[in-house]
Amino acid sequence: MSELQAAIFGALGGSLFGLMALGLSMGWGFLKNINLAHFAMILLGGYLTVDLATNLGMSPVATIVITAPLMFLIGALVQAGFERFDVSEFNSLLISYGLLIITVQVVTNIWTADYQRMAPEVNPLAAESVRIGPFVFPAPTLLAAGFAVGLVVLAQFVLEKTYAGRALQAFGQDRQIASAFGIDHRMLGVLLAGASGASAAIAGMLIAVGEPLIPFSPFDWIGRVFAIVILGGIGNVQGTLYAGLLVGAVSGVVALAWGPSASPLVVFSLVVLALVFRPQGLFPRKAGH
Amino acid sequence: MRRDRGWIALAAIGVGLFLVPVLWEVTDFAVFYLVFLSGILFWVAQATSWNILSGYSGYFSFGQGAFYGVGVYTMAVLFGRHGWNWLLVILIGGVLAMLLGLGIGALAFRLSSLKGEIFALLTLAFPFILAGIVRLFDAIDGGQGVVVPVPSFPELLAPFQKFYFVLSSVVALLALTVAYLMHRTRYGWALFAIRDDEAAAEGLGVPTFFHKMIAIGANGLIGGLSGAVVALNLGFVSVEGTFNLTVPLFVIVMSVLGSRNHWAGPLLGAVYIHTLQNRLAAGGFEGWSLIVLGVILVVLMLLAPEGLMARFTRRPALAGGVFVGVIATLGLLRVWGDPVSWLAAALGAVVVVAFLPGGRTAEKRSEETSVGRGASVVLGEDLPAPLLKVGRPIVVAADVAKDFGGVHALRGVSMTVAEGELVGLVGPNGSGKTTLVNLISGALTPTSGVIELDGTESSALPPHRIAHLGIARTYQIPRPFTSLTVRDNVAVAIMFGREPRRLDASRQAAGEYLNLVGLGGLAEALPGQVNLHERQLLEMARAMATKPALLLLDEAMAGLNPVEIDNAVEVVRRIRASGVSIVLVEHLLRVVNQLSTRIVVLDQGLVLAEGDPGVVMKDPAVVKAYLGRQTDAPGD
Amino acid sequence: MLQVTDLDVYYGDAQALWDISLTVADAEVVSIVGSNGAGKSTLVNTIMGMLVPRRGRIILDDVDITDMPGHRMCRAGVAIVPEGRRLFPAMTVRDNLDLGAFNPAARARHAESLEWVHTLFPRLAERRAQVAGSLSGGEQQMVALGRALMARPWLLLMDEPSLGLAPVVVDEVFDAIETVNGEGVSIVLVEQNVQRALDISSRAYLLAEGRIVLEGDAKEMAQNPEVRRAVLGV
Repeated sequence: MSELQAAIFGALGGSLFGLMALGLSMGWGFLKNINLAHFAMILLGGYLTVDLATNLGMSPVATIVITAPLMFLIGALVQAGFERFDVSEFNSLLISYGLLIITVQVVTNIWTADYQRMAPEVNPLAAESVRIGPFVFPAPTLLAAGFAVGLVVLAQFVLEKTYAGRALQAFGQDRQIASAFGIDHRMLGVLLAGASGASAAIAGMLIAVGEPLIPFSPFDWIGRVFAIVILGGIGNVQGTLYAGLLVGAVSGVVALAWGPSASPLVVFSLVVLALVFRPQGLFPRKAGH
Repeated sequence: MRRDRGWIALAAIGVGLFLVPVLWEVTDFAVFYLVFLSGILFWVAQATSWNILSGYSGYFSFGQGAFYGVGVYTMAVLFGRHGWNWLLVILIGGVLAMLLGLGIGALAFRLSSLKGEIFALLTLAFPFILAGIVRLFDAIDGGQGVVVPVPSFPELLAPFQKFYFVLSSVVALLALTVAYLMHRTRYGWALFAIRDDEAAAEGLGVPTFFHKMIAIGANGLIGGLSGAVVALNLGFVSVEGTFNLTVPLFVIVMSVLGSRNHWAGPLLGAVYIHTLQNRLAAGGFEGWSLIVLGVILVVLMLLAPEGLMARFTRRPALAGGVFVGVIATLGLLRVWGDPVSWLAAALGAVVVVAFLPGGRTAEKRSEETSVGRGASVVLGEDLPAPLLKVGRPIVVAADVAKDFGGVHALRGVSMTVAEGELVGLVGPNGSGKTTLVNLISGALTPTSGVIELDGTESSALPPHRIAHLGIARTYQIPRPFTSLTVRDNVAVAIMFGREPRRLDASRQAAGEYLNLVGLGGLAEALPGQVNLHERQLLEMARAMATKPALLLLDEAMAGLNPVEIDNAVEVVRRIRASGVSIVLVEHLLRVVNQLSTRIVVLDQGLVLAEGDPGVVMKDPAVVKAYLGRQTDAPGD
Repeated sequence: MLQVTDLDVYYGDAQALWDISLTVADAEVVSIVGSNGAGKSTLVNTIMGMLVPRRGRIILDDVDITDMPGHRMCRAGVAIVPEGRRLFPAMTVRDNLDLGAFNPAARARHAESLEWVHTLFPRLAERRAQVAGSLSGGEQQMVALGRALMARPWLLLMDEPSLGLAPVVVDEVFDAIETVNGEGVSIVLVEQNVQRALDISSRAYLLAEGRIVLEGDAKEMAQNPEVRRAVLGV
């Protein structure tokens, strides 16, 4: 595998992490919540995809028709709960961590701690690959990248072109004045949280299509996702995707050159540098705040 | 003032820990209990050391795993691989972790942008970086893991479980002692002040950088010592097992559960969580352990975010009584469970106590202590004779300008404040008054121009050094240390002021300043319990406690009713009478006219006029600045 | 059309306003003047619903809006041009204007309103794609005014429009205020620059230390030495 292939492959894989980071970043930037339960929703989304595809014979991708609305509801409820109890930023971190570990345990109890994956008949995509030019990519990776880019483009569009999206931006920039012009932050917050939840369900599906799941997976994801949130800039939609691609590409190339253990070392050193020199994120903000 | 009885608890813990192995030799209870207690002691050390930084100072860290990991791998490599003396290696592990902490601190604390969540994220990155380094280099681990053989220890401490228990006790006691001592001395109080309002603390003379470095150094040292010790027990260490999120997250949960404000809070949290996990596992409920933990966390953060210790200290007798009572009853009856189960039951029972309403809180202020009556308290008797003659210049500002990215807040202001003066600094909104105050107090540095304080140029000095030169300030919107009592707010200022004293002496001396402003009756109240005017008076008392030469009063009368304004004027007079020079920034011009020896009028970043109040305020330029362009000027 | 009666307003436990009563008739410009800290912004924020009074009533066209939450005030017909402009800094001029018409009633008339605002302030049409944070102070003031007009208010609250602006620009802004009033919008103008405010108002209230100490015809107040005494303290 050449460096270029490693970089591209890595970037494609990183886009999925960018998608995972998107919901977290938006909630943090606009709602001032660090919502670790986002990872719980990704996990649940993945397990439900496996379950529904295996037991109901649905195509794995089609399962999001059920899981996305479900996670939308859960996300909205959690946010409504945060609002109702007037939870501070720090406390939201701890409460959502509580929800996360509860979810991990429930998942373990229902589905066992073993690796769960969909059988090849259920998930034919897992075995397929696509040739693009001189490179061969696994189908799940391309699928994930496609969804990630698509959702980010959609999010960007909503933020910039719809009234609700612009209202959200305004709310992020000046809460009080936005309210004076009729922008009800509670409704917006709940909608945003719901959308994040739906994105989590989709991310979960994409992970399930590509690799086996265990209940403790979220703890593997947390580091990389936070790195992407930081590098992309909290609340910066496009930046989060770019950061995902960057982290993926860097990880891929570094893994090739120095072995897989070196990747987190390089990525997190980048994070430290970014926090010191550019805490607002590496990428300019087009929308967001 | 409450007597401090914490040292008794600490001593009791120390004695108790010493007695446990002795008791074991004598009564031969199951080794399991030694192991169980050792587990608690490990978490006590980790959580307490985390709390010294994050709980006390508010600089929330996700990086405990880094300090722990350095300790673990130091032991694994130096002792496990190379056979160095284990005692020496424990110390090295602690020192290395401490150096890591100081390095992170030097990086993070220098940059003022690195507050709050950014600092937390920075610390999150370090365990991952260390994991990468450890995995990468075969000399350290190389991904295979490292075996840590059983060390050779003195016969007196055999078997291994007792030896390990003794080591764990020593480290845990060290952690508790450090936490306790900091709580009782200026080191801890500096951190509390930093947590509540770092800028205000700086302005009162607290060297914030220095104290934060001490906190993170202590955090690193103890985390590393504890990690090195536990490696001996693990027998085999691996990257995944060491650098996962368990340690960082559990220390947070334990400290928050127990209370971040109290030196024994993390201890309490560690006892609770470890006991809970142990009982769930013993009962075959492993499948529920995380659920229970998660539910507790959620419920606690919603209902009692200040933590259990904060609740227990409201009803210490009841809490202690219930605890002892439940254990004694179960122990005597012996119909159910084993000692750890009794412990769990007692802990559960005490939680109920925690949620009972009422109990002793910071003394609520009574109706008797309203400001009007407080103001009639006679001032401290030992006031020096009032300073009447105007003396040497304290502040000399020469052509000072300040830009904020294109906005010219000040455009070249020159003024002097001399000893004995009460200068009124006035001007319409946006004229630059607060900017000038911020420049003099050192909260901002000038874009151009020079400010000399008592002959020393001040632009390169951090605010706490400027405070030590004799400049104190109050804030328009009071910024008290909200978790400290009124008395302690002033005590902190004394501890770090120009004539610093120790904690108890400072608390005593604080009373004098509270009487000066008329807050004597509210000394034990919390700032959140007193009204706006009283908080403003607290600002003044706190500033005065640093023994300044010059006091900058920034709109100290904002939002007051006429009675309160008159009282505030009286207090300002008393302050002046005590020999302190004053710069009074005020919108309330009738007050400024009453009090000032001289008025300086700013408009749009420049000095418009200065001189005697009666004359200046009739100057046509000043009138125009305030009222706007005159069409038909009314008669003079 | 706007009736404020016996308002007592607190910030937490500190009383900021005592016994405030004022009225604003249709298409009137009423000024509230006084020195800083007198409570002018507090009063505006209370009318706007950002603060809830502890006592007293605010009635707009027979509708009691005293307890109405901030984000519903726009629908009730009140819009604000805040102190310091407070545009959404990272958004374009056009976005800022569009958001002024966020509430449903205004959104229905969005196209019509936008044309009106562009006629009043042609420069805003030119600069529609410019990011609001990069505009000059005077331009920002125009955008803030335009944004409020997009909400099609009956009552416009203007908080210190002249703050931080050069005199020439202040002229433009005050001309704009008069034009807007000419289109039938009632205006409550809070201003530190007493003379300017009184020039364009029909009536005025003088606020000092949280109370109304003088009220009446604007031209008469301009001649009254009490005004100077209240503001300057001499």
